[in-house]
Amino acid sequence: MQVYDPTAPVAGATQNLRRTVGDLRGKVIGFIDNTKPNFKLLVDDLGELLTERYGVKAVIKQVKRSVATPAAANVLDDLATQCDLVITGSGD
Amino acid sequence: MSASATQPLTRAALVEAPDDLDELIEFFHARRWSDGLPIVPPTRERVARMLSGTARKPEEVIAKIAPGFGEATVERIAINAVMAGCRVDYLPLLIAATQAMAEPQFNLQGIQATTNPVAVWLLVNGPIAEQLGVNGGMNCLGQGTVANATLGRALRLILQNIGGALPGDMDRATHGQPGKFSFCCAENEAQSPWDALHVERGYKRNQSTVTVIAAAGTHNLNTHADNADELIKVIADTMAFPASNDYWIGGEPWLVLGPQHAAILAAGGLSKLDVKRRLWEESKLSAGRMCAKEVLRTQSTRGAALGTITSETMLTVAQQAEDIGIVVAGGPGTHTVYVASFGDARAVTREVLTA
Repeated sequence: MQVYDPTAPVAGATQNLRRTVGDLRGKVIGFIDNTKPNFKLLVDDLGELLTERYGVKAVIKQVKRSVATPAAANVLDDLATQCDLVITGSGD
Repeated sequence: MSASATQPLTRAALVEAPDDLDELIEFFHARRWSDGLPIVPPTRERVARMLSGTARKPEEVIAKIAPGFGEATVERIAINAVMAGCRVDYLPLLIAATQAMAEPQFNLQGIQATTNPVAVWLLVNGPIAEQLGVNGGMNCLGQGTVANATLGRALRLILQNIGGALPGDMDRATHGQPGKFSFCCAENEAQSPWDALHVERGYKRNQSTVTVIAAAGTHNLNTHADNADELIKVIADTMAFPASNDYWIGGEPWLVLGPQHAAILAAGGLSKLDVKRRLWEESKLSAGRMCAKEVLRTQSTRGAALGTITSETMLTVAQQAEDIGIVVAGGPGTHTVYVASFGDARAVTREVLTA
């Protein structure tokens, strides 16, 4: 018999990176802190590494209200304005 | 099995499947298109019949469902409704519920992908509850009522099949909960001493609504308290537990008051808002009862509102008393159900439009 497929195509399956950054030297890197207690420590270490080893110009850290909520629109706007690259993660 | 090449993207594909019912059911299980229970085959005829339950066009996109952001068209909602065993006149309620779930304040992305055991609770108000036979009386959160069983199940299939939240995959729940099979009831408006939920939320009594709620579980409160003060005290004490999302986030917990308990509170002169305010005050939890990491998390989520959180800080279960949800449902008995919330979600109510 014929039946309907109940699923929907998953959106964004063909998304690509808008552009690549290449060399990190002189770039501004952003992090979105997911508020889990150890994320901040991880980002502090990564920030030092990025600055000392790869010569990034600045590291900007923004914090979400809580782990399960999306970052607020003003946080995203702020990062988009200031950063060349933003790293989000789920470190714990 | 082959998808029909002539269908536009918004239309569902017909696929070849076994004629034998047992084999057909296994066909659905193998593709992870079911919730683990046998399904009703969504044939062309059954889906067409289900679509007669609405005047909307099959290709109309009602919402995009997180986390996969698949398009919930009227047709895909109908297909999943057929599979769940829904009757034709249930479709408008499912359409309204799908719209409600996609509202940003419901935080469906978080609900679908979290490790927490979050079920989407469908709460039905207004005349449609009786019209569809949604149970708000005895065993309303249990088995045995077609509407309660199949509406909640259809919603789960929509979340899984259209939203793409497969258990162990994008649905990261540590345990899940039985309410993820189905969690649906009506409010027992006839036995409530107060305005029903939809009236509280600005709708008229004769309007029909569905409210979606991010429910982390159900906890039975069996108490023979026979006056309002005692009843408030024992309910508030039960709400206050340190591993609750509601305290570290400032959530939106719910109480399903049994009619007997609601009558005791009303006889004590309490309005629904009075009950919320009393519970909010009396369910405060000392942050010192939480583990150290939870105190840190609370600082992050509630510090802006509450200042520095120390072990002496008394935390409220919600950011404001009005955020405690109260409905009256169930049959006779000395029971109320506490529904702790996911925390990071706010319930959304939508009118069910049957035209």
